[in-house]
Amino acid sequence: MIKVINLEKSFDGRIVLDNVSVTFEAGKTNLIIGRSGSGKTVLLKSIVGLHNVDKGEIWFEDILFSKLDFAGKKAIREQMGMLFQGSALFDSLTVEQNVRFPLDMFTNKTLEEKIERVNFCLNRVDIINANKLFPAELSGGMKKRVAIARAISLNPKYLFCDEPNSGLDPITAILIDELIKELTEEYSMTTIVNTHDMNSVIEIGEKIVFIHEGAKCWEGTNKDILHSDCATLNDFVFANALAKQLRSSETK
Amino acid sequence: MMKFFTQVGLYFLLLKKVFSKPEKPSVYYKQTMREFVYLGLTSVGIIAIISFFMGAVITLQTAYNTENPIYPKYLIGLGCRDSIILEFSSSVAALILAGKVGSNIASEIGTMRVTEQIDALEIMGINSASYLILPKIIATLLFNPILTLISIIVGILGGWLAGTSAGVITSQDYIYGIQYAFIPYYVTYAIIKTLFFAFIITSVSAFQGYYVDGGSLEVGRASTKAVVFSSVIILLFNVVLTQLLLS
Repeated sequence: MIKVINLEKSFDGRIVLDNVSVTFEAGKTNLIIGRSGSGKTVLLKSIVGLHNVDKGEIWFEDILFSKLDFAGKKAIREQMGMLFQGSALFDSLTVEQNVRFPLDMFTNKTLEEKIERVNFCLNRVDIINANKLFPAELSGGMKKRVAIARAISLNPKYLFCDEPNSGLDPITAILIDELIKELTEEYSMTTIVNTHDMNSVIEIGEKIVFIHEGAKCWEGTNKDILHSDCATLNDFVFANALAKQLRSSETK
Repeated sequence: MMKFFTQVGLYFLLLKKVFSKPEKPSVYYKQTMREFVYLGLTSVGIIAIISFFMGAVITLQTAYNTENPIYPKYLIGLGCRDSIILEFSSSVAALILAGKVGSNIASEIGTMRVTEQIDALEIMGINSASYLILPKIIATLLFNPILTLISIIVGILGGWLAGTSAGVITSQDYIYGIQYAFIPYYVTYAIIKTLFFAFIITSVSAFQGYYVDGGSLEVGRASTKAVVFSSVIILLFNVVLTQLLLS
């Protein structure tokens, strides 16, 4: 479980997160949704400690993460995996070396054991015969899957995904969503996904937090979201023509 | 002025992060070996070519400007040797390396910053500054003195070849000249300067890349800044070190 209490963050006097409090549940796929520029990425990066917060607390189970020093954060970070918007694979390393990287840094396994683990993770995300390829040789969907393989290589307790579907076609986006949900259940991880993709919201949003202009506007599940009274949320959810048609047909 | 002091403060804070205890020395060793190749070995060619032609030009210019029977011919070799050891192979070669290695470091680290690769390292609990910059500093500190020695040898060789081919000096005079009144401390002086310049090039360029904020345009700007700032600081330190070491 990850708990955020009264979080505030501003850049050059501009408030980006305003008194956000939310609990992300263990073993579930938790979604942060909102419009572009609403503060989703800042919230996610604040939770993982890439941004120092101005006020508020971030708890990982019973550890106050936001007050830890680098060494203290390091211990928690070794239990984290993160999928970045642009995949953030290391350009100079092959697929195999990318996935092996956390194992090289934090384990004392033999090379054979590490390669076995790498192959297991790559198979798990359906990447076959690509071990020796460089990131530049991969498609967008493959990069995301390799990044997921790297994120799970150390069996993390927490998985963070920043816009995992951005730039992907609808079918690949669904595959990535399903993979994240399966892995969350398989490893009982606390997963937080940052997205504005409504398909992801409906498919995998076991817990959803809606952020609007830096503040938490609504929270619930994928079952509640289509029947909310929150006008701002409804504007976001039913923004596209297809969703509007669905809603009008339901109303009729 | 405030911005200048902020940047200087950030630079020293980055250095503090860089020189903290490495996570896993074996991984850092591999990285250092990689940087040896990328930053060191790949610079041998350009340093050798430029040194050869600079040696040649220094010899010819010295010869044509000292066409006086009072001056013995071997002074041409001596002039070429001292110009190369004292100034060219340490300072001018450092300026060339600031262009090649400095822009390479700033753009590599800057690209890693804007594509979130540095964030990915931090998330894994790795000290990204130390992991990315320390191997580069160690590699250049170890390899640049070798480049300086290569530059000295090739430069003097270039001078000999140009001088004898153009007929401005005989081989015997040139060889006598490069041995005449040789002060070994001059080589030590060149190596000491090279070590300072290697650290300046790597750390200043890495600093420019590490704090890039934005996209490809900013990476390009950081790369340019890395070369400009490294070069200016090298020139400044050249004066200070010369005064300290030769006075």
